[in-house]
Amino acid sequence: MLKGHLDMIVLAALSAGPAHGYAVIEEIKRRSGGAFDLPEGTIYPVLHRLEQAGLLAGRWVTADSGRRRRVYALTRRGDRALGEQRAVWERFSDAVGSLFRGNRPWKRPA
Amino acid sequence: MEAPGLISEYVERLAGELDFDPSLSRRMRREVEDHLREAVAAGPVGGPEAERRAIENFGDARAIAAQFAIGSLAKRARRVGVAAVLMVAAVFIAMKARLVWYGVMECPAVPRMEALGEIVALIDRYSLWSSFFVGIASWLYIDRLRVPAVFTAEYRVRLQRFVFLCSVATAALIASVISDGVLTSFRLAGTGWSVEFLIPVLSMVIEIACAGMLVSHIRGMAQRTAATGHWSAISGRSR
Repeated sequence: MLKGHLDMIVLAALSAGPAHGYAVIEEIKRRSGGAFDLPEGTIYPVLHRLEQAGLLAGRWVTADSGRRRRVYALTRRGDRALGEQRAVWERFSDAVGSLFRGNRPWKRPA
Repeated sequence: MEAPGLISEYVERLAGELDFDPSLSRRMRREVEDHLREAVAAGPVGGPEAERRAIENFGDARAIAAQFAIGSLAKRARRVGVAAVLMVAAVFIAMKARLVWYGVMECPAVPRMEALGEIVALIDRYSLWSSFFVGIASWLYIDRLRVPAVFTAEYRVRLQRFVFLCSVATAALIASVISDGVLTSFRLAGTGWSVEFLIPVLSMVIEIACAGMLVSHIRGMAQRTAATGHWSAISGRSR
């Protein structure tokens, strides 16, 4: 189930601000309270795909360690896509929540 | 001494798995190395054990490469879609250039070939238009196709449908090029060789090259689709 929503999860993690791959995965773990413990490498094909789709913009920077690293940021299109996906998810979540709450027994026909 | 070796070895393996896209391979080598070294630095203790754990948390190199392969395949498919339209357009331009040249040089068709020439010209026209419309359809189809996170059976069917559409466009284009070849030979038959023939011959070479390139693109695309499907299935099973 998680795999189907990885794009949204990565976009949401980057809504806090630009970050590199390692920071994105750490942010996902932190915000999900450790519930989303994916193989860390899974994040890179997603970042690459979102960048190709124009939802993220990546640029190389030099870290304090002296290593070159790629930092990703949401583009305007990415921000819009995240808003749309969030709205869809909230509707879905509300609908499933209502289903679970309405667990009264069926009325048997007389 | 063992510690840097583990990460370098893993990064090399991943880069090797990504050799279907050299620029992606170079980029990931750098990104993943930075990721793994930061993961080790963030842990309570360093050393080979920390490196081993970082690599384990990162995941199987082949499985990660398989996910990249889908994106790469989608990019290639879009390129083939664009190539289908461009090659048909190039053949059309070459054909028109040849006709203009005939007009300028006042080069008439051989009279005894006129009846047959009309039939061949009809085949040429309809083949070219067919290849143009089917080429546009295949390009629009692939451009609007959503790329999934994993290589599904449904995605494979859609890619195969795209390859089929491109093949139809190419077959029609080849029919048009053959017709053009026949018409050109009718026009030049019976006349002695002169430098004026260079333009018709050159335009025919361009047409044949365009059709050949399209065949090669589609063949490569079909092979890549099959290989990616096979590879994704293997890496899916190994996970």
